[in-house]
Amino acid sequence: MTDATPLIQVEGLHKSFGDHEVLTGVDFTADGGSVTALLGPSGSGKTTILRSLNVLETPDAGVVRISDATIDFATPPDRRAVKALRSKSGMVFQSHHLFPHKTVLGNLVEGPVQVQKRPVDEATAEARVLLEQVGLAGREDSYPSQLSGGQQQRVGIARALALKPEVLLLDEPTSALDPELVGEVLAVIRDLAAESWTLVIVTHEVRFARDVADQVLFLDNGVVAERGGTEVLTDPQEDRTQRFLARMLDAG
Amino acid sequence: MGDGAGYAGRVPLTRRLLVLPALLVLVYAAVLGAPAAAQADDARVVRVGTEGVYPPFSYRDPDTNELTGFDIEVIKAIGEEAGWDLRFVEAPFDSLFPALDSKRIDVIANQVTITGERKARYLFSTPYTYSHGVIVTAKDTDDITSLADLKGRTTAQTASSNWAQVAKDAGAKVQYVQDFGPGVQLVEQGRVDAIVNDNIAVLDYLATSGNDQVKIAGDAGDEVLEQALAFRKSDPELQQEADAAIKALTDDGTLAKISDQYFGADVTVQGGSKDVDVKATDSRTTWQVVKDTAWPMFKGLVKGNIPLTIFSFVIGMVLAVAAALARLSSIRVLDWIARIYISIIRGTPMLVQLFIVFYGLPSIGLDLDPYPAAIAALSLNVGGYAAEVVRASILSVPRGQYEAATVIGMDYGQSMRRIILPQAARIAVPPLGNTLLSLIKDSALASLVLVPELFREAQVTAAATTEYLPLYTMAALYFWVVCYLVSLAQGPLERRLSRYAT
Ligand SMILES: Nc1ncnc2c1ncn2[C@@H]1O[C@H](COP(=O)(O)OP(=O)(O)O)[C@@H](O)[C@H]1O
Ligand SMILES: [Mg+2]
Repeated sequence: MTDATPLIQVEGLHKSFGDHEVLTGVDFTADGGSVTALLGPSGSGKTTILRSLNVLETPDAGVVRISDATIDFATPPDRRAVKALRSKSGMVFQSHHLFPHKTVLGNLVEGPVQVQKRPVDEATAEARVLLEQVGLAGREDSYPSQLSGGQQQRVGIARALALKPEVLLLDEPTSALDPELVGEVLAVIRDLAAESWTLVIVTHEVRFARDVADQVLFLDNGVVAERGGTEVLTDPQEDRTQRFLARMLDAG
Repeated sequence: MGDGAGYAGRVPLTRRLLVLPALLVLVYAAVLGAPAAAQADDARVVRVGTEGVYPPFSYRDPDTNELTGFDIEVIKAIGEEAGWDLRFVEAPFDSLFPALDSKRIDVIANQVTITGERKARYLFSTPYTYSHGVIVTAKDTDDITSLADLKGRTTAQTASSNWAQVAKDAGAKVQYVQDFGPGVQLVEQGRVDAIVNDNIAVLDYLATSGNDQVKIAGDAGDEVLEQALAFRKSDPELQQEADAAIKALTDDGTLAKISDQYFGADVTVQGGSKDVDVKATDSRTTWQVVKDTAWPMFKGLVKGNIPLTIFSFVIGMVLAVAAALARLSSIRVLDWIARIYISIIRGTPMLVQLFIVFYGLPSIGLDLDPYPAAIAALSLNVGGYAAEVVRASILSVPRGQYEAATVIGMDYGQSMRRIILPQAARIAVPPLGNTLLSLIKDSALASLVLVPELFREAQVTAAATTEYLPLYTMAALYFWVVCYLVSLAQGPLERRLSRYAT
């Protein structure tokens, strides 16, 4: 499970929105094929970390490396470097952001065909395999609006995978779903973990994180307050981690 | 903001957006530009500006739809004598002088009266008509018989005609109308008291219309007015050639013959206009006139209004998208340029924009032909109005869509073209449909910059036949049918664009 050098490396990440310092020096690494779970109270900066990994937000300082693409945000990044780093990861949004005017298949082949310039036939064949994998074979020609929330999110995952990224970033993929739809999405993510995809997932599903995560990062006030294996979730050392988990498990 | 955040544009226009109008323009040039280049002759080309709606001087023959009239026959004779290759350009009287200034025409043959003011700005040939002014009133007005009676009364005049000045000098208030016919309607309706005009034009009107609701109430002074061809100051050779030709044509009796044919008198010499006897230029029934004009009007629609609308709408949409993206850009300058553009277009009358493009820009060297000028002005107008619609539609697409496009690796142009604009289009269609309907109607203004179109045809025939109500009603009907068909197409288009939304 662990390679010699980690696939993801984040050092000294800082980000402010105006006067508000959201990230105040975040460091972590993740090995290829590992699952990293990001937990922490709302507003602690989890989403901002994820969005820094694909430069949807531009950090004020810090270094982000995924595979062989590195950006040091000490200076404003140039476009080519951003493009290179972005191509290493795929992203699954909390509220899927599927393209409503394209069919399920259209959503999946858009990136491979338009961005990666791969042949339509090839991209379509691969998209069908992915849809089968997320349990949506036969829904190729549906529009997103004709699917349930859980199905939409599974299409969101498949769309991200269609680009064959090295890392999949998931930002609370089940938070916007009705409770009865959460399971089908988590099941798909579990399969991905089993297939050794490298995942970085922001989640409030503590039990799920306990099952699939190799590394747990507990975030508070813009820093990683506690980190380790799943023992962070079963036997937290920090006060604030304990309090957070107690609240989560009560609620869940 | 992050690199991918926001719709900030570096390259607001994509190539594909530009290719389409360029192609359209090429097609247009091929289709409409061809006839102009046809004649291969060394004769000097002289473009003659004339109203075409001023019988019996300049009008279209109701039977053949050919331009004819006293002034037309005179200039044709002069042109033949002087060896000119004549091209006629029809335009409202008020547009003729701007057209002469902006070198769109070389001479005006339209009963232009020589005045001191005009003499200061233009060259005049030897006069070919001597006329005197008369006062027209409603048939039961009996307190106006001379210029003195006009003091404090209201008259209807065309803005740039010398008769407006005569009326003003007499102390009358002047209400401006586009030509003589509409002025007569105002007199009949009691909305104005009188019109001062050329006796010959009035006699022709009375003969043609059979209108007995108005009458010639008296002479407008005893001054004799001289009408001549008007040239630019910079064109003295044309004027000299014209004078030589007029002399020859007077000597050989040609001018007298033409005059006799139209007026039963020789108005080309002093005092001739007293004995004028005008025959009706048109005697068809209303129904016949409407039937005969339906086809020319339809051709005006198909060759004028519809292509104008299509080209202007397509180019206008490109401008609108560009302006909307500039407005959304994080580059300040682009935002400001777009703001100013939109504000100017929305804050000024369409008519003024049209006149600036066609009559104003030539003085700074930007000399567009009528069609391109009309398309340019209409496109700019549509672009300004549609820009805010497009901008609002783009903003209504959730920002997550842009982020989703960004994380699958799309650049700004791709995200716009493939993800944002298609979704914005759905929201924009209903308001843009209204913009299109306005454009169809605004295309009627193109006649003012010399583009022949539907309403112009109606005006031309209405002037010759005085059938104002039926002809203008028919013009309205044509516009209404086109707008109705367009609004029918809107429903299916909206359904098609929103087929994904359930
Ligand atoms: N674009 C933004 N502009 C201003 N403040 C922001 C922006 N994005 C996030 N924030 C703020 O940064 C903080 C961290 O946000 P986020 O990373 O979304 O937290 P989390 O995902 O852990 O809930 C929050 O206080 C949020 O309000
Ligand atoms: Mg979040």
